[in-house]
Amino acid sequence: MKKRVAITGVGLISGLGTSSAFFHRQLCGDMDDPGEIPKDVLQEHQAAPTGVLRFFKPESYLKGKHLRPLDRTGQLLASAAQIALRNSGWTAERLARHDVGLVLGTMFGSMHTISEFDRRSLIDGPACASPLNFANTVINSAAAQTAIWHNLRGMNSTTATGATSGLVAIGYAADLIECGRQATVLVGGADEFCFEAFCAFERAALLSGENDEAGCFVPFDQRRTGMKLAEAAAVLVMEEWDSAAQRGAYVLGEVRGHANGYNPKWKQSGYGACGIIRAMRGAMRESRSSPSDIDYITASANGSVVGDRNEGLAIKTVFDGCCDRVQISAIKSNIGETLGAAGVLQAIDLLEAMKSGTISGIAGLGQVDPELSSLNLCRDSAFVDVQTGMINSVGFDGHACSVIISRSATQSNHT
Amino acid sequence: MTDPTRVAVTGLGLVTSIGQGRQKVWEALLLGCCGFSPVRSFDTRGYSVHIGAEISDFCADQHVLELQPSTIGRTSQLAIAAARMAVQDGCLDLLRVDRDRIGVCVGTTSGEPGSIERFDDQCVRGIMNAVGGEFLNGYPCHVIPLHVARELDLGGEAMTIPTACAAGNYAIAHACDLLRNGRADYMLAGGADSFSRITYTGFARLGAIAPEFCQPFDRNRKGMIPGEGAAILLLESTARAVARGASIYCEVAGYGFSCDAHHMTAAHPQGEGAARSMRLAMEDSGLQPSDVDYISAHGTGTLTNDRLETIAVKKAFGSHAYSVPISSVKSMLGHTMGAASAIEAAVCALAITHGWIPPTMHWRDRDGECDLDYVANSARKHAVKVAMNNAYAFGGNNSSLIMTARATSGC
Repeated sequence: MKKRVAITGVGLISGLGTSSAFFHRQLCGDMDDPGEIPKDVLQEHQAAPTGVLRFFKPESYLKGKHLRPLDRTGQLLASAAQIALRNSGWTAERLARHDVGLVLGTMFGSMHTISEFDRRSLIDGPACASPLNFANTVINSAAAQTAIWHNLRGMNSTTATGATSGLVAIGYAADLIECGRQATVLVGGADEFCFEAFCAFERAALLSGENDEAGCFVPFDQRRTGMKLAEAAAVLVMEEWDSAAQRGAYVLGEVRGHANGYNPKWKQSGYGACGIIRAMRGAMRESRSSPSDIDYITASANGSVVGDRNEGLAIKTVFDGCCDRVQISAIKSNIGETLGAAGVLQAIDLLEAMKSGTISGIAGLGQVDPELSSLNLCRDSAFVDVQTGMINSVGFDGHACSVIISRSATQSNHT
Repeated sequence: MTDPTRVAVTGLGLVTSIGQGRQKVWEALLLGCCGFSPVRSFDTRGYSVHIGAEISDFCADQHVLELQPSTIGRTSQLAIAAARMAVQDGCLDLLRVDRDRIGVCVGTTSGEPGSIERFDDQCVRGIMNAVGGEFLNGYPCHVIPLHVARELDLGGEAMTIPTACAAGNYAIAHACDLLRNGRADYMLAGGADSFSRITYTGFARLGAIAPEFCQPFDRNRKGMIPGEGAAILLLESTARAVARGASIYCEVAGYGFSCDAHHMTAAHPQGEGAARSMRLAMEDSGLQPSDVDYISAHGTGTLTNDRLETIAVKKAFGSHAYSVPISSVKSMLGHTMGAASAIEAAVCALAITHGWIPPTMHWRDRDGECDLDYVANSARKHAVKVAMNNAYAFGGNNSSLIMTARATSGC
């Protein structure tokens, strides 16, 4: 019999702060809310043309050891993990007694370290390439460094499925818990903003060109021209239900089902939504939900001309008949496209929506793409009782993932 | 009554520096053939070492039939070749199955290193205008299974698990879990890595590359030989394999993974994590140390790895450590990084099928700290019902996979 999967803690390092409640209030437009990051710093970040987290200081979260062995992706992930562990009540003493696992979803891993190591060798000769940096040239180095930092001795894995990696990691970890292989797993998503990744997206013409007058990275908006690249890390603590209950953990939500879909014909006309539809239906089948059970969808949409359209059409198909009921929002006009971190950040948005009874609106949404006008897209934050929500993640290359999370019974007692 | 948790290996695809295809590779391994030669893919004049295990006779056009070979990286090409071989070897008619239920899971260390190395060359030469959209489509490691899926028109799970030098074991284990919980009907799972300047430079800087050849567990071992390759296993439930009349090489009985959480490049000094992964794998498989007939070692040929792996085997196996044969095919293929443990899983499947254990080549002098039975220098006829495949990686990732001869009861 499958074990139930509880989410008992969250942590994030993002352009909208480092606490989940603050993050969600920012998404809901509550800009006057005092947070741990000064308002002017956040505003400066949001106005900046790139999604680099200039205010991120890893030493604020990671204390007592040298930070030099960790590259930026490692620092982002280890910091988010620190916040999540504290949020969930996992102390160093408890970690020493249990083999806690870690699954990271990332698109590029340590791309900048890899490239820089190679360029140094090319310019100054192989004898000048740093062995210390070489350790971080493996794509899973952030997961490994985070395990070292926090003494996580359970299964340590990294998933890479492009921009869907973080959400896929949630499903991967849920399976490990459901079948009894791990009692507790930290699930993270992380990607840094680096010159190499920016160059890759820019040359593929996937960025919005937000500095141009016509540039627009608002999800589902008719004016959209592409996405805004940003960096972030986000971590969930996921535990087997009974062991979470046994230690008296506060359950934020329950992972009810997940599914991935890949569509090898995604480039062909008329096929773009197929993989996304398969992922959404698969997740509902696994969670024994019907479209009418889903109160809220946090969409993957990031301003991509093709991707948003495909996702919107997929939602229309799957929710045919109740499109007007299910509320849909998307966080990436606020936070940017954070690649591996995106799906986990969306999960945090959903958990906070369940807790607070407020869903965020799509910042800046103007005229909706006419093809998607029947979708119930949230322009502004709204009070909604979210019992069950769906998270979508859609890649740039035909991959899709959906996860369904429900509010837990214990949460109802707490709120 | 059919046990739905049993997973069978029904097809093998191998691309290595000593041959391509299951039969050729197996025969070469039993003969002790080595794939080492001077590095050809880049200039090693600034290096203190010059030997690698590259595949010299790989012709992508013969394997990549649907996609344009020139538009995808070498790792994807190797993976596609191995996947096609596995499908053919497993007699799976793709036209007669639901291809949306066939997934691809590939382990890798470097993904498509050629793509970022080309980007770096362009940066250094100041010709950034030459970088185009192909960089995004060609570099991120997740494109490897996507390319396999597009080539074979498969719509199931398509995931890369980039857990460095243990990645093949992780990919196979994940594929088994997907089959067990009904997420797929068939999985093409394994590992792939192409020869990488970055990887070669790094291991050279660590002083971990041997100057001539790889001699795991020998007293005078000098390191590894970096290589390239791919192995893909066709996996399906044993019940499905029996129902369609497929030949079964072996079953994947269980796995165990752990993390040292100790150091990025140095394994735990007492081999604790490695021993734990072996114990977990045996527990998962319902087996005892005395049940294991063969250990395919990680056996890179570096001073520390081989010593610590020996310590870990002794911890996990107790006195049986001295009676179970252990060998490292890296002595012939070099270290093929993310592909290594997938190739070695295929070797375990073939050892079970044929009752032969491939040798650890170039073993000359006994090391007092490596005092187990390493099947030195010549293949050994030995009945193998249970094989353990060990693989370790940067970051202290430890993995053990257990493969068993197909049980006669149940299906």
